[in-house]
Amino acid sequence: MKTQFLLAKANDNELATRGECGGAVSALFKYLLDQELVDGVLTLTRGDDVYDGVPTFLEDSEDIVETCGSLHCAPTMFGDLISKQLSDLRLAVSVKPCDAMAIRELEKRHQIDSKAIYKIGLNCGGTVMPITARKMIEMFYDVDPQDVVAEEIDKGKFIIELKDGTHKAVEIDELEEKGFGRRGNCQRCELKIPRNADLACGNWGAEPGWTFIEVVTEKGRELVENAHKNGYIEVKTPSEKAITIREKIEGIMIKLARKFQDKYLEEDYPLPENWDEYWNRCIKCFACRDVCPLCYCKECDLEKEFYSSENEIIPDPITFQGVRLSHMSFSCVNCGQCEDVCPMEIPLARIYHRMQKKYRDETGFIAGVSEELPPLYSPEKG
Amino acid sequence: MSENEPKIVGFCCNWCCYGGADTAGTARMQYPPNVRILRVMCSGRINPSMVLKAFKEGADGVFVGGCHMGDCHYDAGNYKWKRRAKMVEDLLPEFGIDKERFRFEWISASEGEKFQKTMEEFTETVKSKGPLKRTVPSSTDTAKSTAKT
Repeated sequence: MKTQFLLAKANDNELATRGECGGAVSALFKYLLDQELVDGVLTLTRGDDVYDGVPTFLEDSEDIVETCGSLHCAPTMFGDLISKQLSDLRLAVSVKPCDAMAIRELEKRHQIDSKAIYKIGLNCGGTVMPITARKMIEMFYDVDPQDVVAEEIDKGKFIIELKDGTHKAVEIDELEEKGFGRRGNCQRCELKIPRNADLACGNWGAEPGWTFIEVVTEKGRELVENAHKNGYIEVKTPSEKAITIREKIEGIMIKLARKFQDKYLEEDYPLPENWDEYWNRCIKCFACRDVCPLCYCKECDLEKEFYSSENEIIPDPITFQGVRLSHMSFSCVNCGQCEDVCPMEIPLARIYHRMQKKYRDETGFIAGVSEELPPLYSPEKG
Repeated sequence: MSENEPKIVGFCCNWCCYGGADTAGTARMQYPPNVRILRVMCSGRINPSMVLKAFKEGADGVFVGGCHMGDCHYDAGNYKWKRRAKMVEDLLPEFGIDKERFRFEWISASEGEKFQKTMEEFTETVKSKGPLKRTVPSSTDTAKSTAKT
């Protein structure tokens, strides 16, 4: 698949100004809705403030302008939203790399129809939990969190924009050393440019007011070409320098992610005694399983009586988390939702990610990226 | 009186491994009595969760025996088990269980001697590791503090 890079911006003035980096993604959504190539668009709208991201399903292209702009403090997961609620519709969806990974795994398992969905990927350096964002803005920026009108992660800094137009920035490293900044799984995530979607869009290597688009699939290519032909976007070719800059940024971020992987999955990985303490907190609320995009079994083994003993208040980890690990850890896309929703703050994403890494090192299967199902599912001999 | 008599759960496939155990038995080959054999139709039937449950229920060691590669009575069951077995080996240390307490072998129905030898070796290994000490979550303190009187 010959990759093609281009810079794009929306021809519609309102989308171009309110949209992120020229609103190209919003313009592509508008094209798909206007031409009735999709039944609806799934995207994120800003709710009460920048910390409130609401998954929104649009059927009218007039509504797109309200969803413009990127949000870094609203980590949602679209994978299971689509497979459980919207699988019978033709969709266009804006996907972070982790959304695209979950969708790919679900497509492989026939939970999502890959022919019915346009995945417009967004480069992602990581997201921040809303409450963490509010706290760190108070602590490190000395600003009332409610005064923030926009935020951005750029050049290793978390930058906030206030009502009066001023910007304040703090190094992400500094924030993360103190326990703030991006979510743990985002720090360890290696997929920054979603090449498992149809297009990969972002601002790395882009000029102000333009989106840098990498065309990944034929479907993506057709989409961009037709949107251009029909006057929804303006395109131009990026310079070699821009392409190189983008490659470099990606390289740096991947290196950083690998460093965090070594730190959190090897060097600073909790000892068995720590895990005993963590598992002792589990209240068997099933939130981790419910929110996991890859757990879709109608009859879940974890609810079967043969895995728990009589009068067991705290589940024995080996037949609760152990069973879930043996069922899906090798497919874990490290979206981090399990750890986000655990009411007892058990670092679940770490153990699942570590298990996927072990599986990847042995078999080469990368969850969310590899085209085939995990080798464990194969009927082949060997 | 030594209390260190490990309890080993052995899943043996009906066609090969169980036959091998039978051969060992009919030839009066002596092997340690610590293994409790469970006959399954094929090693491909074994889920990792069964191994985990065995450890939960008090096993000090778990053994799974299947047919040699290419000889599976159901064509490819033992290949599937082989991939799962590798995953179990990766998973057990995460719960503080030494992966030496888990062993899987390929034993045919005529290999009574191999079965005997494997049981001897495995029992010795598990014995040297001692009884499996697991810190199972203790609910008493938590329950007391959160229970409504």
